[in-house]
Amino acid sequence: MQRIVRGVATKAQQQRQLSAAANAPKKVEVFIDGKKILVDPGMTILQACALVGVDIPRFCYHDRLSIAGNCRMCLVEVEKSVKPVASCAMPVMNGMKVKTNSDFVRKAREGVMEFMLNNHPLDCPICDQGGECDLQDQAVAFGSDRGRLQSRLDGKRAVEDKDIGPLVKTVMTRCIQCTRCVRFANEVAAFPDFGTTGRGQDLQIGTYVEKFFASEMSGNIIDICPVGALTSKQYAFVARPWETRKTESVDVLDATGSNIVLTHRTGELLRVIPKINDDINEEWIGDQSRFAVDGLKVQRLLTPMIRGADGQLKPASWEEALFTVAAKLRETSAEQKAAVVGGLNDVESLVALKDLFNRFNSENVMTEEEFPETSGGSDIRANYIFNDGIANVENADAILLVGTNPRFEAPTLNARIRKSFLYSDVQIGVIGSESELNYDYDYLGASAKAIDDVLSGKGEFAKTFANAKQPLIIVGAQALKGEAGAAILGKLQQLADKLSAGKNVQVLNVLQRWAGQTGALDVGYKAGTAALRKTPVKFLYLLGADEGKVNKSNLDPQAFIVYQGHHGDAGAQIADVIFPGAAYTEKDGTYVNTEGRSQRGYPAVSPPGEARVDWKIIRAVSEVAGKSLPYNDLKEIRQRLNEIAPHLARYRDIEPSPFIKQALQLAQTSGSIDVDVSPALRELADYYQTNVISRNSRSMAQAKKAALENKENPYAEAPIHARL
Amino acid sequence: MSLKAWLGIDKLQKFQQIVKEIGGVRAVLRKRYLMDVTRVGTLVGNDKYGNRYYENNEYFVPRNRWVEFPDKVWLDYDASQVPPEWHSWLHHITDSPPTVQEPLTQKFSLDHKENTSIYADKKYIPYSTTRTKVQAWTPGQKPNFD
Amino acid sequence: MLSALRTAGAFTTRRFAGTQAIAGSSEAPKGIATTGTPFLNPSSKAEYALARLDDVMNLAQRGSIWPLTFGLACCAVEMMHFAAPRYDMDRYGVVFRASPRQADLIFVAGTVTNKMAPALRRIYDQMPEAKWVISMGSCANGGGYYHYAYSVLRGADRVIPVDIYVPGCPPTAEALLYGVLQLQKKIKRKREAQLWYRR
Repeated sequence: MQRIVRGVATKAQQQRQLSAAANAPKKVEVFIDGKKILVDPGMTILQACALVGVDIPRFCYHDRLSIAGNCRMCLVEVEKSVKPVASCAMPVMNGMKVKTNSDFVRKAREGVMEFMLNNHPLDCPICDQGGECDLQDQAVAFGSDRGRLQSRLDGKRAVEDKDIGPLVKTVMTRCIQCTRCVRFANEVAAFPDFGTTGRGQDLQIGTYVEKFFASEMSGNIIDICPVGALTSKQYAFVARPWETRKTESVDVLDATGSNIVLTHRTGELLRVIPKINDDINEEWIGDQSRFAVDGLKVQRLLTPMIRGADGQLKPASWEEALFTVAAKLRETSAEQKAAVVGGLNDVESLVALKDLFNRFNSENVMTEEEFPETSGGSDIRANYIFNDGIANVENADAILLVGTNPRFEAPTLNARIRKSFLYSDVQIGVIGSESELNYDYDYLGASAKAIDDVLSGKGEFAKTFANAKQPLIIVGAQALKGEAGAAILGKLQQLADKLSAGKNVQVLNVLQRWAGQTGALDVGYKAGTAALRKTPVKFLYLLGADEGKVNKSNLDPQAFIVYQGHHGDAGAQIADVIFPGAAYTEKDGTYVNTEGRSQRGYPAVSPPGEARVDWKIIRAVSEVAGKSLPYNDLKEIRQRLNEIAPHLARYRDIEPSPFIKQALQLAQTSGSIDVDVSPALRELADYYQTNVISRNSRSMAQAKKAALENKENPYAEAPIHARL
Repeated sequence: MSLKAWLGIDKLQKFQQIVKEIGGVRAVLRKRYLMDVTRVGTLVGNDKYGNRYYENNEYFVPRNRWVEFPDKVWLDYDASQVPPEWHSWLHHITDSPPTVQEPLTQKFSLDHKENTSIYADKKYIPYSTTRTKVQAWTPGQKPNFD
Repeated sequence: MLSALRTAGAFTTRRFAGTQAIAGSSEAPKGIATTGTPFLNPSSKAEYALARLDDVMNLAQRGSIWPLTFGLACCAVEMMHFAAPRYDMDRYGVVFRASPRQADLIFVAGTVTNKMAPALRRIYDQMPEAKWVISMGSCANGGGYYHYAYSVLRGADRVIPVDIYVPGCPPTAEALLYGVLQLQKKIKRKREAQLWYRR
């Protein structure tokens, strides 16, 4: 893949370059509307104006994409220039005087707007972007009140709609050819098949031959498009932005904890859009996070259920269910109790469950996802979090990916790696499967033996890695399973220790797959369900555990299983009592992402039917069982969280993680391990349905089908699956 | 005008005739209690619920046809207890009763039922037939993407 | 003497066989049920007494329901027809009263607009207790023809509790008469005294 060095480098890289230079460059003096400002020389006029507080209208400029300069809406008057200047592309020069509101500029803007509206269809009443449309807003603010188009004489051009998949709806007549989507597809999403065809009036944006937009970031072109040319199929014709309420929350469908905004109306969740967070997800979210929310409306657990004598689950009242469970809880002894939690839970419910079990003298609480117990296991925080922080990926100059496919496990992290790949000469090596990541990499093999090679400096990549100034190892949590996993972790810690000497990076980063995993390990859960198989368990409490890691054969034949969760999936099928809980959009929860950053998600809608917020259910069970937990409302349980681990209450910050040396001392170092560390997610079709919410989502099922067919034959003539 | 008409004696004679037709003073009082009127007419027909339909053209047009409800409904009579074929004759929509001209019926017609909307245990309460916004899971159900 | 009263050719009656059998049959109710009371199974003497008291109260109330004139739109004309000679409502004791303070029934006849709704509520509140509401016509039942308009109340039951809904656009005067008769039946089944006792 050709490396594209374009426009403005990222802020982080700019700073790196600048600090690398011996002396900081002289600042340049610019006068914007009479106000003087000193800026760094690489900046464009538009960015300089933004620093002063002047917002220049634009369509094609986007601060995370390369500069195109084709919309011409950002024209400003520069003193010594006869023609207006495209401020998004023109770098500042010393003594430049810029006028952003003179008559000349206003006339230029009106002219540009008139041209843009000349060929734009009168679709506002039926266009989904109405109310949040850049073209509408800028036409009102900067356009003239009349146009000169004689539509009965000249007419407007029309373009056919393109079919790019079951997720994104295209009405290409509305396109204003700003090429933001093209630049996004080429730069961020790594889907170069999306481009422009033809020129002038006949310029059409699309894939030329109809193709599925095979990228896990395809939903972001909906946010990027300033007009209603690219809209969400799931959200088509649903609501207008002024009648919706927006609630900020955190995404739990992957472990990066991307910030999202939930759009809802009259107690119904309508869509999910990303919120800007420069440290985690910038401005993007993956397709699963965006579109899987329609899975929250089907297959929901709405009432408590109890399995009767005939073996069938029947709806019951909360009273009956709570009393049944409390009785069983009191009957069984501490060693016969166990709790298994899934990956979508908030820290409050995890803490409540652990407290409940601790009150009954049981420490048998574990997560479904495994993690080794050597190297200090989950006691040393640095072992299981993304130590360097997601934002720091941009500063890396060598990255080693072990047993992970960040493209499908954490799409926004992958976008950052790709950004780093485009704008700097980072070398990437992959140990795992040779799947299509969005960047070139050196494939070092599928077996963990390759780690030994890197450790010993054998091979081209190993040498680069050893000499790198900021190396990074990203290991997937899936590779750290069992004995082999412990060994891999030990080896990687050795490698990290060797490389981090004298540098300010910690090198070793673990990329979790589940949003609830880091929080669970922080609070004190054991990782992995191996402990279940040691002693026969008579009472099992499943908290959203749907990955099928536990089934009845692992337990005592008369085991009593309680399932608390929000969807009827594998866990609910085997349960004897079901407590309906709330999904992540319905509860006020704390989620710890893979970096160890604690974030708070607010509820947009209330839990449906008889469902309740999870930690409150556990509190009710404790009350009925006789050992009440000491917290009654959100503030009190958050105080408890603060007691256990103060970082859980300190939102949005990363804590430094020490004790790496100690972890290394406890590491298991062994001989060469020859085990396949290929990640489970290899191709796009695997990405769409990985957790209980997306398995029940129709959009995700359609997307998966489209991806599978695309793999077989990308040029199929049939429509790319609007319906299954 | 004859002397009898002038003194009103023919009215009394008519009344006596009616009393005889109905079957005695007790029966007259009973009928008065149930129907609020004392009148006789030719029996035009019965229907399967026990309603009896009478006609007497001595009375003016809207009041010349009436229904007498069976004893088992007693004072709980209701206009909706009259089945449709007799209803059209009773309300002067048609000239001929169903005994003379068979009414058109369809094979899909339901049996006639009286209006029960004031009885709390028998009334129809409308319910929603649309899908709920959030669909519940029933045990064993797999996601259905149709 | 009596034979002299028999005038010739007065009228003839034809009686079918079997009619005598139906009339006065054993299906007629006995005892207190001959009064048509719905309260047939009291569980104690006090309840019996109160049931009879209820019967009397209900008889009085249903024999003389005084409605308030609240004709809003076209249904008002049919309401006038109900008062006119053909379907005479006066014979049921139903006389129009202009003041809500003296009325115990309100016919909501016509479209209730958003502007009229608070006035309707106020008038309903001004009626003294033991009051009923008959919603007449499809506009008062549920918005009717103007259901999707911005300025129409989608049914009078959004502001006042309705006892009887009379469907139609407009309901014929006979239908309104039927509605009043249904209300009378509903009043007959009211159990104020017995419920007071039970409480």
